[in-house]
Amino acid sequence: MTCAELHEQLDPFFDNELGLAEAQKIQQHLEQCPACEAEYAARLAVRQALQKPEVQFTPPSDLLDQIQAELLKQVRPAPQRKWSLPRFEFPPWLLPSLAGAAAGLVLWLGSNLFLTGNRSSNSLLATVTAQLVSDHMRSLLPDHLTDVVSTDQHTVKPWFAGKLSFSPPVYDLADHGFKLIGGRLDYLGNQEIAAVVFQHGRHFINLFVWPKNESAYPPSTLVQKEGFNIIGWEANGLTMCAITDAAPDTLKIFVELQKQSRMSAE
Amino acid sequence: MNEKEKLTRFEGEMLPLMNDAYNLARWLVQNEADARDMVQEAFLRAFKFFGGVRGETGRAWLLRIVRNVCYDHLRKRKVHSSEAELENIPDDSSPETDLELKSDIAAVRAALASLPEDFRTVLVLREMEELSYREISEITQVPIGTVMSRLARGRQQLAESLKQMREKDLV
Repeated sequence: MTCAELHEQLDPFFDNELGLAEAQKIQQHLEQCPACEAEYAARLAVRQALQKPEVQFTPPSDLLDQIQAELLKQVRPAPQRKWSLPRFEFPPWLLPSLAGAAAGLVLWLGSNLFLTGNRSSNSLLATVTAQLVSDHMRSLLPDHLTDVVSTDQHTVKPWFAGKLSFSPPVYDLADHGFKLIGGRLDYLGNQEIAAVVFQHGRHFINLFVWPKNESAYPPSTLVQKEGFNIIGWEANGLTMCAITDAAPDTLKIFVELQKQSRMSAE
Repeated sequence: MNEKEKLTRFEGEMLPLMNDAYNLARWLVQNEADARDMVQEAFLRAFKFFGGVRGETGRAWLLRIVRNVCYDHLRKRKVHSSEAELENIPDDSSPETDLELKSDIAAVRAALASLPEDFRTVLVLREMEELSYREISEITQVPIGTVMSRLARGRQQLAESLKQMREKDLV
């Protein structure tokens, strides 16, 4: 075998694409010919360089979630619960009436809230919960989820600063699977409150925040309403309430992460 | 198979291949933002045609779609900008204590990034994704002989530019 002949077959030999007989001929030639052996060594060096894991690229951590969300839009499953419809499932002709119904509900609830000093605490709690559910539902309508779209907590937090008299905590929990996707102003009764929006897989979480207020406190243990999971807590004079259609355990983890982030921030 | 079952099967079979898909896309389009778009587009296209008869493994099939999506994109990009605007490849490898290793990795990335598209593609498919000549031939839609010659020339060029970079460092 000449060097020229070997050159023709060096790459398939190197890539294990040759038959045994041909491979043996090449092997013999390489053992006797330093020039061809050097060619072989150069290929080996290239391979070793390219196969270092650090040279290859790994996908950004949120890409999988994003693709799953896009894929989900491709299938249109039959609705399971009346109000747990993901936002893309509403047929366009239904949107105006849905938005109207939600807005009407908010107005009705709003007129009852904050005005009724003699309500029992249970019915007050129920009213607050119902209103947060309707806020959450409305946020899932197309283009209602966020007023400021950003995955950067240093963008979302200042955005609130210009609009509210209090400063809601904004932590990016993307490393834990809860991606910050933006913020929004919403209402509880007549009061403006902050809504910090997170995404977990294909589920959205609204984290509502408002200054502590005797007439507007959320459920302090996890409750389920209209197919959503809701839980509230207090921190530094602010009331927080998270609501989502994600699983109860997922919500508990989210709340725990929020509390821990706050502690480590202080 | 209804749409929901199709999605479940697709997620089980195809989403685990996202690392392969992203690495190929990232090396072909040469920046993160475009690579994300390419991978997403490829998965949506794959989902559309998922479930049909395939004469190849799922991985080769998906990478063929990724490659096609990327080449379509690159063709469009070339029409829009006459000069190739190759962005600097940022070194986003994991933090290394060994500085020498880090600069070595940056050098390898830069060398591969500067190879012509066709050579870069076969090298990524062969050395990183470890596909056979037959699979590479199916993905790139060229005969096996062409795969072989592209590999040979790509390897020579890469070896040469790595050698030059090392010599430059020594001076």
